[in-house]
Amino acid sequence: MENTNPFHYEGELSWCPGCGDFQILKSVEKALTSLNKKPSEVVLVSGIGQAAKLPHYMKANGFNGLHGRALPPAFGIKSFNRDLTVLVTTGDGDCYGEGGNHLIHAIRRNIDITVIVHNNQVYGLTKGQASPTSEVGMVTKTQPFGVVSLPFNPIAFAIAMDTPFVARSYSKDIDFTADLIKQGIETKGFALIDILQPCVSFNKINTYQWYSQRAYKLDNNYDPTNRVKAFEKSLEWGDKIPIGVIYRSQRQTYDETLDRLGIKPQVNSQPDLSKVKSLLSEF
Amino acid sequence: MSFDISIKIAGQAGQGIQSIAEILLKVLKLNGLHVFAYQDYMSRVRGGHNFMQVRISDSPVYSIKEDCNILVALDTNSVDVHRNEVPKGGAIIYDPHSTMVDSPDNRFIPIPMNNLAKEVGSPILSNTISAGSILALLDINKMDAEEFVKKQFAKKGEEVIEKNLKALERGYLYFLENFRSWKFTDIKAQKNNKLIMINGSEAVGFGAIAGGCQFIAAYPMSPSTGVFTYITGKAKEFNIISEQAEDEIAAINMALGASFSGARAMTTTSGGGLSLMAEGLSLAGVMEAPVVVVNAQRPGPATGLATRTGQEDLEYVLHIGHGEFPRFVFAPGHPEEAFYTTIHAFNLSDKYQVPAFILIDQYFADTYATAKEFDLNKVKAISSQPSAFSNDYKRYQITKSGVSPRAYPMQGDFTFIADSHEHTENGHITEDGEVRNKMVEKRFRKLKGMQKEFGKPTYYYGDKLVPSSFKKGKAKTVFLAWGSNYGVVRETVDYLKKQKRSVAMLHFNRIYPFPRKEAIAFLKGAKEIITVENNYQGQFGNILKAETGIEVDGKILKYDGRPFTVEYILKRI
Ligand SMILES: Cc1ncc(C[n+]2csc(CCOP(=O)(O)OP(=O)(O)O)c2C)c(N)n1
Ligand code: SF4
Ligand SMILES: [Mg+2]
Repeated sequence: MENTNPFHYEGELSWCPGCGDFQILKSVEKALTSLNKKPSEVVLVSGIGQAAKLPHYMKANGFNGLHGRALPPAFGIKSFNRDLTVLVTTGDGDCYGEGGNHLIHAIRRNIDITVIVHNNQVYGLTKGQASPTSEVGMVTKTQPFGVVSLPFNPIAFAIAMDTPFVARSYSKDIDFTADLIKQGIETKGFALIDILQPCVSFNKINTYQWYSQRAYKLDNNYDPTNRVKAFEKSLEWGDKIPIGVIYRSQRQTYDETLDRLGIKPQVNSQPDLSKVKSLLSEF
Repeated sequence: MSFDISIKIAGQAGQGIQSIAEILLKVLKLNGLHVFAYQDYMSRVRGGHNFMQVRISDSPVYSIKEDCNILVALDTNSVDVHRNEVPKGGAIIYDPHSTMVDSPDNRFIPIPMNNLAKEVGSPILSNTISAGSILALLDINKMDAEEFVKKQFAKKGEEVIEKNLKALERGYLYFLENFRSWKFTDIKAQKNNKLIMINGSEAVGFGAIAGGCQFIAAYPMSPSTGVFTYITGKAKEFNIISEQAEDEIAAINMALGASFSGARAMTTTSGGGLSLMAEGLSLAGVMEAPVVVVNAQRPGPATGLATRTGQEDLEYVLHIGHGEFPRFVFAPGHPEEAFYTTIHAFNLSDKYQVPAFILIDQYFADTYATAKEFDLNKVKAISSQPSAFSNDYKRYQITKSGVSPRAYPMQGDFTFIADSHEHTENGHITEDGEVRNKMVEKRFRKLKGMQKEFGKPTYYYGDKLVPSSFKKGKAKTVFLAWGSNYGVVRETVDYLKKQKRSVAMLHFNRIYPFPRKEAIAFLKGAKEIITVENNYQGQFGNILKAETGIEVDGKILKYDGRPFTVEYILKRI
């Protein structure tokens, strides 16, 4: 592994001191560095939220779009230029709430991207409302009587969708997270990595202490290719929370389909005029 | 114009109206005749009442007529609904075994289409039988029709060709054997007149391909789907990525992603879908991402009249997307113009890095018209993206023209960010008031250049189209039209000219940036300005007033979901 970090960004970061997002940023840089990626061949795509600010805090290409809408542009970016390494850095609200529908269909398409969800079980940027992964009973200013809706289980969902790579991590373990991100990037097809990320300002329930007590690494005997076992594992949430690669599978990627069809448009290329002319005879 | 014939083919959905029309239209086109065809259909796959209107002439035709010379009634209801539209001397073709007619007069021509079809092999051939009879009635050479049938069914094999040829002949001869004395009109083929026949959707789709479209994401919605399917049908051949998105929000955001990667990207939709795209369009505005958006209008609000026509989204498209940002809005008047406009839209969206809207409508999308072969050398796909950058590249560099050099990833060793927030020249989030002002002003500086680009209004003054330099000989009454009303207003002008009235049409193909100078020059001195629009409020008239201070004197409006006719306009002058 190289000891220099070409992804380092010199400017100011506006996250709260102690936020788990700093750790995830480090993990992403580490993963990309260990894969010898160049900043110019990487695109970080995000929506809006604290997590979604990450593209501004790294030296790489970035597409910082709309809240909930990171996955559709990521599809457009990657399908058009399949030589790019495309990472989506998103929040639990961004990815599972506002943009939930896109997640279903992005997995179905199986475009070759890696989606990193900073799951802090709260809306950080908008100052502490419940998110789709907040615990039942969590009291916020918009849920004064406590959250009633059942939390979304991204891991079980992703397994049900037969996602090629499904993992969970805990932001505090930077090396472990970096390794999962690296595996996600190396996976052909869609990779979902849900990262437990303490929000020190607004989530007083799911704190460092809370996660540290519960998170445990899956051991070597665990077989992530067994879908039924993986599903069973995905339901484990409470006193013990498994982290690591929970599910793996293989199927044709969107990229491969385009390759097979020979569809690979080039920037600034002109349409073939003689071919265009031949269309006239069809009218 | 030595002849001008209108045909209506009416029946239920699923009865083959389109198959009959297709044979008819293509054979007429091969004969060098001008045709114009519009389909009026209900939002259902089977049953209901639908009809196709076909107008034929030896000179170009631009609109439909309310009455028809020939009615082909495929069911009893069609006879009841349309028989009064056929004047004396006209023809009503029907199948006496399936269609009940009360007191048929000498307009009625019974052709036992079903029985004849069974005779030659199968009831599904009855459409070809009808086409044969109509062609005989029009006195079109049978051999031309046969040649077409051979081509049309070539892919389906010898047997299908054989059967259809038989059916065509049977229909043709049955008419001659039984109604030979029926002299309809003299139609002279003009074989050396090389024409193409294209509908509005195909013209936009074809224009997109010629304009270098490389990426399309869309969600199906009438009446926009035709453009999407046309392009997708050619995607492999022309190296285009085409994806059906999960919704219109995804569609526009996918297109913006592709645009970021350097693609010429587009999306197609109709009103409801456009509403879902609003935030994405605003993103295109701040990111300065080129994207072409085709909005095929239908009457709203909400689901409105799903399969019918309207021009209700004009003001919406001028303002859609929160915040302020420049855009192009085009509204082509006929298929040929739509083809060139779409190529321009791609080039200009790319050059100024703004969204470009193309406004069409159901009437425009589904209308077939003949046209001279498009000149593919007239407008070409031209990219304005520079080819090299230094390593201190700034995506949002402040420039005099307002346009910053646009790069795509991996074009060099540099990196850049496209950002939804207000940003610095480097694309990073900023809340600095001064930077903010500079960025807003930079984005709006583009308008100066945009104003000078393609899209001057067309002044139509009788037989000739007058270019924008036109100064003299202005008409007293000027009709304003935009988008699909080009044809019907043009024919209204032709009609009134014959009555020695001083009239003209001013048609707007580009609505934003508004061609203010030209509008004022053309309208100065007019005694009466009348706007003709498919909406309730006369939206274009309002925009004209806001942009130029000129107030219209009259509005001829229609919002029943059906297109204008010359007759309709004349009644309201
Ligand atoms: C369309 C839209 N709706 C709402 C918002 C306001 N908003 C911004 S971020 C956010 C929630 C962010 O939560 P999450 O994705 O979990 O990110 P976090 O800040 O917790 O990292 C909301 C509601 C917005 N920017 N756009
Ligand atoms: S609000 Fe929470 S998630 Fe956002 S930066 Fe602060 S600690 Fe991190
Ligand atoms: Mg969150």
